[in-house]
Amino acid sequence: MLENHSQQTKARSIALPTLQPPVTPVGSRVCALSACQSGSQATVVDIGCSPDEACRLRALGVCEGANISVIDARHCMVLDVRGTRLALGNALTSGITVHTGITRG
Amino acid sequence: MPRPLYDVLSTLQPPQFTRKDNTKRAASNADQVLRVAIIGNPNTGKTTLFNALTGLRQHVGNFAGVTVERVEGSFRARDGRRVSVLDLPGSYSLSAGSPDEKIALDVLLGKSDDQWRPDVVLVVVDAAHLERNLFLASQVIELGVPVVVALNQIDVAESEGISIDIPELIYEIGVTVIPTVAKRGQGIAPLIDALFIAASLPASSRQFALPESAELALAPVCLLLEEFGLTRGAAEMEALRVLALDRTETHLVGVAGLTPAVALAVEQLKAAGFAPNRFESQVRYEWITGVASRVVTRANERASQVSHRIDAVVLHRVWGPLIFLLLMAVVFESVFTWANPLIDGIESALAFLGAKVGSLLPDGDLRSLLVDGVIGGVGSVLVFLPQIAILFGFIGVLEQSGYMARAAFLMDRVMRRVGLHGKSFIPMLSGYACAVPGIMATRTIEDPKDRLATIMVVPLMSCSARLPVYTLLIGAFVPAIHLWGFVGLQGLTMLSMYLLGTLAALAAAAVFKRTLLKGPVRPMILELPPYRMPSVRSLAVSVTQRCRLFVQRAGTVILSLSIVLWALATYPKQTADASLSLPAQQEAQLEHSVLGRIGHGIEPFVRPLGYDWKIGVSIAASFAAREVFVSTMSTIYGVGNADDDAVALGRRLREERAPETGKLVYTPLIAVGLMVFYVFALMCMSTIAVTVREAGGGKIGWGWAGLQFTYMLALAYGAAWIVYRGGLALGFGG
Repeated sequence: MLENHSQQTKARSIALPTLQPPVTPVGSRVCALSACQSGSQATVVDIGCSPDEACRLRALGVCEGANISVIDARHCMVLDVRGTRLALGNALTSGITVHTGITRG
Repeated sequence: MPRPLYDVLSTLQPPQFTRKDNTKRAASNADQVLRVAIIGNPNTGKTTLFNALTGLRQHVGNFAGVTVERVEGSFRARDGRRVSVLDLPGSYSLSAGSPDEKIALDVLLGKSDDQWRPDVVLVVVDAAHLERNLFLASQVIELGVPVVVALNQIDVAESEGISIDIPELIYEIGVTVIPTVAKRGQGIAPLIDALFIAASLPASSRQFALPESAELALAPVCLLLEEFGLTRGAAEMEALRVLALDRTETHLVGVAGLTPAVALAVEQLKAAGFAPNRFESQVRYEWITGVASRVVTRANERASQVSHRIDAVVLHRVWGPLIFLLLMAVVFESVFTWANPLIDGIESALAFLGAKVGSLLPDGDLRSLLVDGVIGGVGSVLVFLPQIAILFGFIGVLEQSGYMARAAFLMDRVMRRVGLHGKSFIPMLSGYACAVPGIMATRTIEDPKDRLATIMVVPLMSCSARLPVYTLLIGAFVPAIHLWGFVGLQGLTMLSMYLLGTLAALAAAAVFKRTLLKGPVRPMILELPPYRMPSVRSLAVSVTQRCRLFVQRAGTVILSLSIVLWALATYPKQTADASLSLPAQQEAQLEHSVLGRIGHGIEPFVRPLGYDWKIGVSIAASFAAREVFVSTMSTIYGVGNADDDAVALGRRLREERAPETGKLVYTPLIAVGLMVFYVFALMCMSTIAVTVREAGGGKIGWGWAGLQFTYMLALAYGAAWIVYRGGLALGFGG
């Protein structure tokens, strides 16, 4: 069965977003993630951390286009990303640009 | 009622591939060993699965040249074939950002220093968080090594209303997927079968195609990496990954022309309208989102709400720290008090053994060596076992339940001020009970510099072995007066010693992190996993493993040093003066021994602190363990066993006068100075032995242990000198 699957599998081409700046929906604002309040929803626009930290964040699901729920905003921020809870330090959240006011997709 | 998903496997026939390649890798008979590397995100139950596969047949060491823990286990399949399993460090993606991640990458690329190359890679995936876990899985699948995916914690996913179409998932990702519940041992047998079958299958490969312009841009980079020795799949994976980096990682330094080729690829991707630094995450998540949409069905999010409700309390700004402190108090108290009956039991058993051996041998050096040196030395190791077992039991429960990440989150702000990570707090707290398990507990800290800095300062936390010294000196020299209500001067003095050690540990950590272990303080990125019920079996395996490791490694060093110390305290012999009492004979023998001479030798150095040669001998003898100070003092002052009569020893110390001057040898000032000395001094062979091991072993380990001993001794001497000289200057009397 798996052999058949393997033979049938055709690598699907990926449709990628390009360098075009993401469209900011009407009524939302662009800010640093660290400026978001507890309970707010945001979408990641850009990750401006060091390459190592950015790689780590992206592997954890915090990548451009990802929806984020801010659970608790204090010195470290507790977030919900793709069903996973993450705690991020201020040094990181201040380097992540988001647009807010969008409900989670 | 629907059948559990892990039963789905029985409906699937094992894939029947004809052998095309990898025939050398296939374990075709019992003589061959199948080598399996396990990798997965943290909190996926990877170690529980490893424990379920290998049980106690594990060997713990370090990867060559680094302090990253290497755990390898083995087991035999039902047909007798042997499987060797390497538990790679938990990782969210393949990268070389930390030593742990680099090790995992090196092993999977076949570039590790110890030449261990897997026949099959077992990727452990958390069924409840499939999307995020598939990021790492998608990278591993591309490496050109046969892959099996263990879809673990499938029961949790089901309870959260998550349904995964496993045949569809196998089709989508192109590798065998086995649903498992590792903590209950479910799915293990089919998983083992799948590992053997996978070894004979064609290697897995990338399941999505890049846009043509991107393929063209990356082709020259892939070619260079293939020429460097990587498989085609690994080269394609690495070519995507290096786009986001601003430097060439060490394992790729030897690739000729890589930097300009990557720079050209970056320009071409930009020209094609892509963002190179986020290109890999975009293509992978694009693919993953598609896979998840076809494979995962969510009924509700009820169960995950339970974790959220618990978090609302344990991460609360007021209740959170209070619950944390309460939990830590329970842990601390348990390590202190629960261990006591067990320690007493071990001591009684050793005393019984010593008496038995002693009664079988004639009086003489051999008996003394076996009873005092060997049995006494081994005993000094074994008495730590109950504390180690209890502490690691608690650490295991905290880790497996998901609370440890919350504790690190709560303590991060405090620890960050001295340059450490929140995870350093638990090992430091453990140090109050005993530095040995405290140092071993630093393994939960990922950053090697943070971990080393924590190891270097944990022994400054006042451990239980210092308690007999504090008790003796406070009881003898600090008046039992009440200051406020139930707060007495003696208790306050004791508390001051604990506070002094704690402050010194934080200060020393700040110094290490700003000098020898200088490095950027890594911003907090912490996953807060859902709360889970710990696995009793996995806890038992991990506690047993830690205890065995301690006895094997630290025990051998301590046994050797115990024998050396015994010899120093025993030789050269002198003829006993029969007219003297037994304690007086012992004192005379001790003074005549090498250790006694050392005491006299170091007297000029301890004189500035107000000490005489007898204190010098006691300090020298207590190198093995701090509590030996008390027993040596009782031997010197001939009051028998100080444990039985600490009051008598205290009285004797208060009355002791110098023969030359007639002045009191011990004053409250000297007693405080001596306590301060013991707050800082690293007088514990077990701690040194464990530091050697945990700091990397060999020359590196001994180097750090030597530095630790030296700086703490310097601190102890300087602080005791300041106390004594400062006290004299302020008129507190000498």
